[in-house]
Amino acid sequence: MEKIIITVLILFLPVRLVYAEEKDVKQIILPNIQIELASGAGREKVQTLCNICHSVDYITMQPAGTKAQWTATVTKMRKLFGAPISDADSEVISSYLAEYYGTASKR
Amino acid sequence: MDDYRFTRRSLLKGAGTLAALAAMGGIPEDLFASERMVRFPEKTDLQLLTARPPQLETPLHYFKEMITPNEAVFVRWHISQIPTSVDMVSWRLKVGGNTDKELSLSMDDLKRYEKVGYTAVIQCSGNGRSFFEPRVFGGQWKNGSMANVTWAGARLKDILNNAGMKAGSVDISFDGLDLPPLSSVPDLIKSLPVDKALDDDIIVAYEMNGRPLPMLNGFPARLIVPGWYATYWVKSLSEITVLAKPFEGFWVKTAYRIPDTPCGCVEPGAVPKKTIPINRMTTRSLIIEPPSGSALQSDMPVNIMGLAFSGGYSIKDVIVSVDGGKNWGEACLGKDMGRYSWIQWSYPWKPERPGKYILMAKATNSIGESQPFEGLWNPAGYLWNKVEKTEVTVR
Repeated sequence: MEKIIITVLILFLPVRLVYAEEKDVKQIILPNIQIELASGAGREKVQTLCNICHSVDYITMQPAGTKAQWTATVTKMRKLFGAPISDADSEVISSYLAEYYGTASKR
Repeated sequence: MDDYRFTRRSLLKGAGTLAALAAMGGIPEDLFASERMVRFPEKTDLQLLTARPPQLETPLHYFKEMITPNEAVFVRWHISQIPTSVDMVSWRLKVGGNTDKELSLSMDDLKRYEKVGYTAVIQCSGNGRSFFEPRVFGGQWKNGSMANVTWAGARLKDILNNAGMKAGSVDISFDGLDLPPLSSVPDLIKSLPVDKALDDDIIVAYEMNGRPLPMLNGFPARLIVPGWYATYWVKSLSEITVLAKPFEGFWVKTAYRIPDTPCGCVEPGAVPKKTIPINRMTTRSLIIEPPSGSALQSDMPVNIMGLAFSGGYSIKDVIVSVDGGKNWGEACLGKDMGRYSWIQWSYPWKPERPGKYILMAKATNSIGESQPFEGLWNPAGYLWNKVEKTEVTVR
C-alpha cells in the first residue's frame, strides 16, 4: 500500500508543481509603444529627461500651452514630482515645449 | 506642416478625414495621440492617452450596456513602475499601524471575510477634462474614464475591526504594488478619514463582474469607495495603515484637491484660496444614442438613450431636450441597480422636419443635486458634469 502511495506521489509531484506555478503567478507583458516628438532644438533633452518617469505622450496630448504654462509644468515636475532636471535643462525643455507644443506652435 | 492649424476640438470632429490624410503622409502622427487605439493585456482596443504609465480610455459605445465588460474598463496609473507580475503564493495584504495586531492576509484569508457586492460607477476625477474652457493640463480624457461594474470583496470595516483600531486613530492610508521610477518621486499612497473608512459599503474587491480583476485594473484586489472618485480606489492594494495623526502624503495633501467652495469651482483661470481633497462624484448624465454627428431620417422614430449617475444618491429624474434646451420632457428611467450604479434612461423622439437639432439631457439626484448648463471651472480639471450637447442632423 505504502509503495503505491509513494509511486503515485512521485508520478504527480512534478505535474502538480508546474500547475501550481501557472495558477499562482499572474503575469502580463506591456506593449512597447513609441511616441515621436517634433524635431527641433531641445528634443534630445526632452526625450532623455521626461522619459525617465513617463512616455512623452504626456506632452503630446496636452492643449497648446503658453511658455509660462510649460515652464510652470516643468517646475512642477521638478519640485513636486522629483524630476532630476537642472535649471539649465529645464529652460531648454520649457522653450522646446512652448515652441512645438505651445500656443506659438508653428504646426 | 505649417499649413495645418488644428485645434484638438476640430481634430476630433475631422478624425476620419485626418486619418485618411495621415495615411497619405500629410499629418504628423503625434497629432493623433488621443485617437490612437491600442490593445493592452486583458483589455480590448482602447483609446491611448499615454503609454507609460498607461492611461487608456473606453470608447463611448460600450456605455450602451448597463455593465461595462472588464476588458473595456478604462486604465489609469500614476507612477510608472506598475505591477506586471503577482505571485499569489507570496502576495499579502498587510494591515497595521495604530492597531491591536498586525494582519498579513493571503487571498484565501481575504475571502474568509463575509463577501459583499454591488454595482458601482468607477470614474476618474479628471473624466471630461478635455472639455474644460479655458483648457487645463492633465490627462485629456473625454467621457471614457468611467465604467459601471459589479464589484465583490470584503468589507474594509471588517478587516479594520479584525486588526482592532486603537483609540485616537485619525486617518487610514492605502498603498498599492505600484512604485515610483525614482526615490524622489512620491509613491502613490491615498488616505481616508477614519469615519469614512468605516462606511459599510467600502470594500476590498477581488472580483470585477464575477471574475478576478485584470492586472491593469488592480489585480489582485483594490479598494472600492463607491460614490467617490476613483483616485481613492487604490489598485493592487498591498498595505493598509491606521494612523494616529493626519496623513501628510503628496497624493492627498498636494494632489487631487478641489476648491473649497460650494461648487468646487472658481472663476476660470483663478487660483483657489483654499482647497480640500476631492471626494464625492458630481451628478452626471450622458447621451449615448444617437451619437454626436449622427444623420437621422425625418419621420423615423429614434430612441434617445443614455445614462445618469451621482455620487451615491439615486437618480430622481432625467429631463431631455431636442431643441437646444428650450423645451424639456421627462425621460423614462431603466432598471434601478442601486444608488452607486448608473441608471439607463430613454426618450422616444420622432423628428418631423429636416435640420440640425441639439439634444441635451440633465439629471437630478434624490437630494436635488443636478448639472450646470455652463462648465464649472477648477485648475485641475475635476468634477466635470456640464449638461452636454449632442448635435444631430435630420434629413
